[in-house]
Amino acid sequence: MALRAAVLRHIRLPVQTLTAAGSRPQPQWSFLRLFSSHDDHLTKEEVIDRVLDVVKSFPKVDPSKVAPDVHFQKDLGLDSLDNVEIVMALEEEFKLEIPDKEADKIDSCNLAIEYIYNHPMAG
Amino acid sequence: MSGATTAAAYLARRAAQKERVRILYRRALKDTLNWAVHRHLFYQDASDLREKFEANKHVEDLDTIDKMIAAGEATYDKWRHPDPYIVPWAPGGSKFTRNPVPPSGIEIVYDYGREEND
Repeated sequence: MALRAAVLRHIRLPVQTLTAAGSRPQPQWSFLRLFSSHDDHLTKEEVIDRVLDVVKSFPKVDPSKVAPDVHFQKDLGLDSLDNVEIVMALEEEFKLEIPDKEADKIDSCNLAIEYIYNHPMAG
Repeated sequence: MSGATTAAAYLARRAAQKERVRILYRRALKDTLNWAVHRHLFYQDASDLREKFEANKHVEDLDTIDKMIAAGEATYDKWRHPDPYIVPWAPGGSKFTRNPVPPSGIEIVYDYGREEND
């Protein structure tokens, strides 16, 4: 019995991992529900869509000029205080808490999308 | 101590002041959201706050700007909310360190109480 217990303790099954870190399952597996909370990071398209929606609904912004690579102050003609307001709106949208120093550096849609996509707690 | 004489030092000081102003505006806006939870009240108060900042936008003298920033920060300190909303997973929030990662190297033996002489 002790031998059996010892053998069972040391047998390991080979583990199958996903293809790349954070990659979603293939479309034909979309009926497969993932109950783990580790794979539900946002996709880049979702992040881009939501960020652009937030920026477009800002009252001082012209929605037709918004693209994923606009600079808030240079391309959209906004103020630095407007920049602060946009970052706050993004924080509310994604339920993030961005430290003051980091929030100061977010100047364009590009940086915002990068930061949010790489944030582990982005909702 | 008079103001900085070289252009680079002047610009550096202005840039530092602008950063202080931005951070102050950010904190004041968050505080306004903490106090005025209902959205229509928040928009009202936020535009009032913006007016206050815009009124002093064209000041050029470095020392006056410093004094104004110090006065603004004092007002902000006076009006800070005692129970601000913090995102749950951030320090100070409700979910912070709720489920810490278990230390590595610990292995749970699932023997369900089975004894050696079974």
